Amino acid sequence: MRIKTTDLTRKFHVGSSEIVAVNMVNLEVNEPKFIAIVGPSGSGKSTLLNLIGLNDNPTYGKVFVDDIDTSLLSGSKRRRIRLFRMGFVFQTFNLLPTLNALENVELPMALARRLQKEQREKAVELLKTVSLDNRFYHRPKELSIGEMQRVAIARALANDPEIIIADEPTGELDSKTAKEIIDLLFDINRKQKTAIIVATHDQRIVEVADILYSIRDGKLRLEH
Amino acid sequence: MRTITICLRNLFRRQARTFLCILGIVLATMSIVTIGATTFRYITIIKEMHTYFSGKVVVVSKGAIVIEAFPIGIGSLPENMTEKIEARAGVKNAVPMLFIYNLEGALEAVPTNFTIGIPPGDWSVLVGPTPLRLGGHWPSAESSKNEVVVGSSLSDQYNLTVNGRIKLNGYDLKVAGVLDTSSALLSRSTVMSLELVQDVYGYNRLINLIVVEPIEGVNTEELADTIESEIKNVNALTEEERTDLAQPLISNIETWTLGIRTVLFILSMIFVTTVAMMNISERRRDFATLDAIGAPKIFVFKMVLTETGIMGLFGGIIGTLLGSVVAILVASLFTGIPISLFFPGIFDITPPLLVFEILVSTVAVSCIAGVIPAIAAARMNITEVLRAEY
Repeated sequence: MRIKTTDLTRKFHVGSSEIVAVNMVNLEVNEPKFIAIVGPSGSGKSTLLNLIGLNDNPTYGKVFVDDIDTSLLSGSKRRRIRLFRMGFVFQTFNLLPTLNALENVELPMALARRLQKEQREKAVELLKTVSLDNRFYHRPKELSIGEMQRVAIARALANDPEIIIADEPTGELDSKTAKEIIDLLFDINRKQKTAIIVATHDQRIVEVADILYSIRDGKLRLEH
Repeated sequence: MRTITICLRNLFRRQARTFLCILGIVLATMSIVTIGATTFRYITIIKEMHTYFSGKVVVVSKGAIVIEAFPIGIGSLPENMTEKIEARAGVKNAVPMLFIYNLEGALEAVPTNFTIGIPPGDWSVLVGPTPLRLGGHWPSAESSKNEVVVGSSLSDQYNLTVNGRIKLNGYDLKVAGVLDTSSALLSRSTVMSLELVQDVYGYNRLINLIVVEPIEGVNTEELADTIESEIKNVNALTEEERTDLAQPLISNIETWTLGIRTVLFILSMIFVTTVAMMNISERRRDFATLDAIGAPKIFVFKMVLTETGIMGLFGGIIGTLLGSVVAILVASLFTGIPISLFFPGIFDITPPLLVFEILVSTVAVSCIAGVIPAIAAARMNITEVLRAEY
């Protein structure tokens, strides 16, 4: 999956003032690399990820997926790209509270209309991959925050995405759990050849990233 | 994993709110069933009255209020008027009757017992082919001085069997037969000779109804007009006129029922919409997450609609069941007829079609009530919700 942005800009209106959250960002993801975007709170990290993840529309500029201008795609086609080709990991995990770990992982597969048996087998396999083989039937409130983030990562992997977009995946975790999550994401990147874009403050992620960008006042800069 | 499972769990997550919402639907549905069943019952009785004296002219006093064929309230006629009418051209025969509503033993809102006096030998003019229960007979001219026939419901309620005794206004009478019928009117009637009714109730040589059978080929309308013009202070009603008299009453009942039903449905709709909007507002993050991971809008839409539909289904089922029970209690309370007597004919009180129609309407109304919240959930701006997270 190739993602390319050209002069990507996103403005918000707060009261009478205008905030430029993302300002003329040009970014290209060609290979399954581990990409980190660092920047202080409010610098535009999450907004940029929402734009790349096709959850938001730019005020100006374009996002291309495999050279297709996504602004020309219908809502349902953009949704299909999110469902089948992208995985999302959120800072606050965003698991559905009424579903247990297995069902949360099965959800994207159910939305993709995969066979029920196949969903269950894949969900079990993914939860084992994230070392949660004894927590299948626990609901989010019965899991620790580290376990919740593992379930979220397993859910992101459910439909074999080509890219995982993670917004502050370690933001809520203690340092030991954060390290485990970073290792897990790194493993996924290396073993499954899945590109990973992470917005983070976490120095340890910065250290393992193949490509590092910094963002400040919406402007993206390549660090290495 | 089925959508319905997710919806049930979502509803169960907010137990108190879901319970209150279902309770609201239950109360609305229960009221609709109770009112619907009660009015349906009275409309059925009125419509059943229409089946009597088909093709005949009914003569009543001018001041009498008539429901289909039967006069209620004041308005009697001298018995000898029957002969005057019978002497008219075009009249095959005229049968005098005395029709009395008995309010004793029941709340006065609804009369539940009827006494009908008719000359012996003319029984079939009233009861048609209705049979008597085994062992019964119609009183003859001689035995009719102290014999009566009672309806099945009265027989069951007061344990009146053939050859048993019945006391009416101090008269000790013998039960000659029991009408084997489910007719609301006949099953609650005591049928006896005209003379006996006049004695028992003090109607000296008075009647309140004459059933006139025209000679074949005679126009009933013309015959009725002739009777009215030649005999003062009477109304001669053809079958059509009798229907016309009852129709406004039936229409009024039906309109009021429909009005009440509509108001209750609108109230439950507002209730369900409010609860669904509250649920959605609380689950903004869940909907944003679903959207972010690529859930089709229709999935979210269906999920909200299913949730409101489930509440409607539960509320509807419980409401219709309770409503059916309450309808029977109301029928029993207002008629003085024991509840046990209603159970064999429970489907006459709460007809399955009516109950099914109300249940389907309740679910449909709940689904409709879910449309606005479902659209709100499906069209939620996920960027704002996700941004608000951080």
